[in-house]
This record gives sequence, structure tokens and C-alpha cells, in this order.
Amino acid sequence: MSQLAELQSAFQSYLSGATLAMDFERRIQADGKISASRRLAIYHDAYRLRLIEALATSYPMLFKLLGDQLFQQLAQGYVAQYPSAFRNLRWYGAELADYLGTALPQHPVAAELADFEWQLAHAFDAPDTALLQLADLAAVPAEDWAGLRFELQPSVRQLPLRWNTIAMWHALNQEQEPPSPVMLEQAEPCLIWRQQLDAHFCSLDAVEACAFRLLQSGASFAEICDGVALHAEADDNETVMVAARLLANWLEQGLICRFYR
Amino acid sequence: MITSPPHPLTDDFLGFGLGLRTPHYQALLEDDHAIDWLEIISENYMVPGGKPLHYLDRLRARYPMVMHGVSLSIGSTDALDLDYLRDLRTLADRIEPAWISDHLCWTGIHGQNMHDLLPLPYTEETAYHVASRVRQVQDVLGRRILLENVSSYASYVDSCMSEWEFISLVCEQADCLLLLDVNNIYVSSYNHAFDPRDFIAGVPAERVQQIHLAGHHNHGDYIIDTHDAPVIDPVWDLYAHALAHLGPVATMIERDDRIPPLAELIEELAKARQIAQPYLNHPLPWQQTDLSSKLGLPVAMSV
Repeated sequence: MSQLAELQSAFQSYLSGATLAMDFERRIQADGKISASRRLAIYHDAYRLRLIEALATSYPMLFKLLGDQLFQQLAQGYVAQYPSAFRNLRWYGAELADYLGTALPQHPVAAELADFEWQLAHAFDAPDTALLQLADLAAVPAEDWAGLRFELQPSVRQLPLRWNTIAMWHALNQEQEPPSPVMLEQAEPCLIWRQQLDAHFCSLDAVEACAFRLLQSGASFAEICDGVALHAEADDNETVMVAARLLANWLEQGLICRFYR
Repeated sequence: MITSPPHPLTDDFLGFGLGLRTPHYQALLEDDHAIDWLEIISENYMVPGGKPLHYLDRLRARYPMVMHGVSLSIGSTDALDLDYLRDLRTLADRIEPAWISDHLCWTGIHGQNMHDLLPLPYTEETAYHVASRVRQVQDVLGRRILLENVSSYASYVDSCMSEWEFISLVCEQADCLLLLDVNNIYVSSYNHAFDPRDFIAGVPAERVQQIHLAGHHNHGDYIIDTHDAPVIDPVWDLYAHALAHLGPVATMIERDDRIPPLAELIEELAKARQIAQPYLNHPLPWQQTDLSSKLGLPVAMSV
């Protein structure tokens, strides 16, 4: 290993907490008015502060929910366990929800809120794409509809929510006291996506969730209608109408970017 | 021995700019401002899509831009990150910046990013290591890059030359340009007890393409570079001193925290204009491209 590589390895090891200051101090000039250990401490502290601040920026509602002290404590634990390999600090913190699952098991809603916030933030700069419009489907002959398949635009993501996380997010976002965590009887799928420049989200009922899952997996419009029929207990005509309305709504919300025959 | 005259390495004087920050997007789009150009943090726009690129394109239509990176890690002993360079090149192709800069530092090894501008030991080994990487980067980008001197809080016992000697050696070996951060010179001179004027006198003047100014936080026995406050008077004085030595150099003010309304920064930028005024019409020999073309010297590298 070159001298430079060895120096960098030792410095990084000190910064990340793997080795003590005293092991690295002898490499630092103790010139002038401040000691080598204080000089090193500037870098040591800045590293942690910077990553913790990045987490607070990426998880603003979680920060409000947990409060400064608990958030700091958990973020410190996360920073100690997860170094950054990212060019942009904005991408640091992807595993915070998983980490909270083990570090804060008594409050599972915190992990779910973290997951929700992460997905929301990352819908924000997903790739741009032209969206499919209802008018684009107008020219499709009636006999072709059964075989149509659709592709979701790249910012769309789905999250199964087991708690009243959306209600908590809304309250925290409006600087209000969040409701107490309530576990839902059944996990509710939540859609997150970007429409134009802003991130959006909505939860899906059982029929819509089933239809959406089918569309996402590449099912044809006829197969989506079959799925709707199972959940909606409707006759064939009504089923097609329900599926068509769902599709029109997804198109209007900018969720679909193309179709195939 | 015949000494050759300094080459006109740098591009034309671009004027006075500001760092592009999200709170100012709307204000920058709405009115005309006394801002000649914008400096972007490259990494903030090396993203697939959405709001950052939307605003970048709209603002680029109104302002010349330069790209300033924080994660090149030119001094690291890890291999150069070719994916990073490819994305940097893609962004450069998109906005056609006047130039591209990053810092003379390292930010991590073993695949980690410490998200800090960590100091390098000032040794020949390090200078040659950095210079060979700068040449690779310049090959990928198809242009000279600018390296910025960083603020530092510690120096290594391994160092065997001054920071300005180190910078000069890197620049000469790599044939790259310099982004002189006058605030960083002030901060480091305070932290390491050297004369900041020695620094300015010691760097290759003909390679200084841009100047940074910023505020910092003085803790008494040391200073932390925070970019969260206005430029202080001693740094303005050092800026004037630098211009007297360098001639007109494109200058911008960085503010990354406690970001004030745009008007406040424009006012601060006006102070830079005022200080620079006496030097604007008196370019130094290497800045007189007309003269150099008459002398048959190579013109500034175009891209």
C-alpha cells in the first residue's frame, strides 16, 4: 500500500469510529494554538453532524414525530452502522426504515413512516417520461381492447401500509399533533408517484389494488377485468365499466406511460 | 535561458456570479438580476429527472453556468469512479458549462464517501498521484478542469512543502486550472498560521480561472468554513489583494446555509464588483488574448 493509501485508510478508520484518535494523532502536525486531537475532532464531529443532518432533511416528518433527542440518538446509531457510498447525501439513509425496525421495535409506525417518506422523496427526481393520455387510446378498435397491456411511468412505487401512517404524515405536515398509531385491519396499498413536478400519494381500496397489481404485472385489460370481477361481484358489463373507470383515473393521475397491443 | 511568456490558459472573464440554490429558483426566473452567471453543485443535478433538472434547464436558458462538484475525490487512492465521470459528462453535455471544477482533496476510500473535503498530504507522491488522475478526468471531459483549494483544520507530519507549492506542482503536472477560494485561503491561514498573501503569491496566476468568496464561523482559536454568513472584511481585503496580483478573475459568492433572500446576495455580489472595478480594465499580460494571438501563442483551450 502506498503511503498515501495508508494515510487515507487510517484517517477514514478514525473518522468512522473504528479506531481511536490517539492512533492517528501522531500523523497530524501539532502546530500553533490547537492540539492535534482537537484538529481531528473537527473532522470527526463534522462527519457525524453532516450525515445526521442529511437524515433529518430526508425524513422531516419522522424527525417531528420522534423529536430532536430521539431522532439524534437513532440517527447516530444509523450513521455508526451504515457508511455512505453515495455521491449525493440525498441518497444516504435508504435503510433507515429497516434500521428502525430493529432499533425501535416498540414503535413500528416509525419505520413505516420512514419508508413512506423515503419513497415520496425518491419519486421526486425519478426519470421524466411522456405520459399516456386517454386520447391516445381513442383510436384503439374495440376488438383490440381485451389484449391491451400497460406500462407504469418510472416514478410510480407501491407501499403496503399497515398503520395510519398517511393520517400521521398529514398531521405532522400541518404542524399538528399526530393521531395515535392505529394498526389497520388489513394492509392498505399506497401508491406514490410524481405528477409533473410534485410527488403525490393515495391509498387504494381492495378492487383498485387488485386491478392495479394486475396492470403492474403486465396483465391484459381482459385479465384486469377478470380480477375486478372476482373482487367487485359484478356482471361482465359492469366489470368492464369499473375497470375502464379505474384505467381512466390512472391515466388522469399520470401513472401510465405507454400501452402495448 | 529564455523564459517563455505565460500562456493565456484561462477563458475570457465571465463576470460575477452566485451559487444556484433551490430557495432562489423562482426569483431567478421571474426577474432580471445583476448576476452574470450561476454556479451549480453538479451532484444535485446528476439525477434522472424531476424538479432539479426542470429548473436547471429553464435557468440555463437565462444564465451562463459553471459546474462545481463535491464528490470527484481527485486525491483518493480508490480507482476513479467512471460512472460518476460518465454522469458528470452527461450533465456537461446538457448544460454546456463555461467550465467544470471540483476540490483538491479526497472524500473517502474503500468505496465510502465521508462527504467532507479531506486534506491531502503535501508530498510529491501525492501531487503526481493527483495529477495523473486529473489528466484522466480531463480526457473524459474533453477539457481542462479547475481544482479548488479547500479549507483545512489539520495538516500532516508527512507534508514536505507548502499548500501553494503543492497546488503549483499539481497544476503544472496535470495542466489544469485553479479555482482560488479566497475565504478558504483565509480560513486555512488562520488555522495553520501562515500569511495568506504568501499563498496568493505562490500559486500559478495564469491558471486562476475563478474565485470563490464565502463567510465562515470563527471559534476563537480556529475557524470553520461554514458558508452560512456574509463575507467578512479581512476576506474582502484579501480578495482585493488577490485581484491586484491576478487581474480580473470571474468571482462568485457561495452561501449554503442560512440562505438569505436573493436580493441580499446580489447586494453582497455588488461589493465584489466594486472591489474588482479598478482591475477590470487592466488585464495582466496572460489575460490579454489579443496580444497573445499577435505573438502567435496558443489560444485558450476550447471545448
